[in-house]
Amino acid sequence: MASGLVYMHSGAANVELTGARTALSPAEIELLVLIDGKTGCDELARRAAPLAEADVKKALEKLVRAGYIVPAADVTSAGIDPGDFFSTADQGVASLKKNGYFVCIAHAAAPRKPVKDEKLSLLVVEDDEQLAKLVRTYFKMEGFETRIAGSRAALEAALREARPDVVLLDVMLPDADGLDLLAAIRKHPAVKDVPVVMMTAKSTRESVLQGIKRGANGYVTKPFNVDVLLKAVKSVLGVK
Amino acid sequence: MNPLEELRAEYRAELPAKLAHLKTLLEQRSYGDLQRALHTLAGSAGTFGLPAVGEAAREAEACCASGDTARLAALIDAIGSKAASAP
Repeated sequence: MASGLVYMHSGAANVELTGARTALSPAEIELLVLIDGKTGCDELARRAAPLAEADVKKALEKLVRAGYIVPAADVTSAGIDPGDFFSTADQGVASLKKNGYFVCIAHAAAPRKPVKDEKLSLLVVEDDEQLAKLVRTYFKMEGFETRIAGSRAALEAALREARPDVVLLDVMLPDADGLDLLAAIRKHPAVKDVPVVMMTAKSTRESVLQGIKRGANGYVTKPFNVDVLLKAVKSVLGVK
Repeated sequence: MNPLEELRAEYRAELPAKLAHLKTLLEQRSYGDLQRALHTLAGSAGTFGLPAVGEAAREAEACCASGDTARLAALIDAIGSKAASAP
């Protein structure tokens, strides 16, 4: 990995970043989000801290082998306009948003197999009551046991009451930043392993990266399609 | 009507009240609260089958965030128009 080498996404990367599920590791996803066709490897490694440089190198090599990224020089020397590639991801996001869809990334967490007749439990942390009710109704129809928390205090109370199988967490709550809550969940010994899917209206690279960095298992942008939200939840739970 | 359709209908029925609230916040120049209300609307309208309302709310939210308050009244009216003409 030459320190100044610049990588850019292939079409496969954009499919991966907007798909309902990914097999890539959090480190690989993080690098994929950071790669913009302009930033050199040394700077990528700095931005990806606390990942070790060796891990960054390994992840980049894997992404190259899998065809998700290509050295930008290869594209320019082939006479292809790199601008097309640089903007593909952003165009994809804009197009999806225009059509009322979403950006969704999900990593499978350690699956928990419910015992017979036991329902998987979902905690929806969302202050928009109507949206929370819609999500609760939909997941209830899909066989989940669902609770709603509309604030930091309600989330803390709900977590004390019972450990959920998965949390759907809004990034912007009236009394808290959802990313801070995610960080708090990841530090708490009783719930640190609970899969968390972030829900947010921010679909920029930076906001996706923030969620991934702080340990989100999934990331779904608003407005979302409830069917896809279900897919993301099932993906992180490792259930079909 | 299935429960999801009922909730969508309920959401649509409450849009005039949401719009009136947005206008009140604008009149009071409560831009922080207005931005938050627009953010909520932008994040939910598409899920309730009203993507054009969500887009208009997103644009108004961006104006609030950038301090471009001169266009807000027109943009909030546009949200109302999109809601009224939604299929």
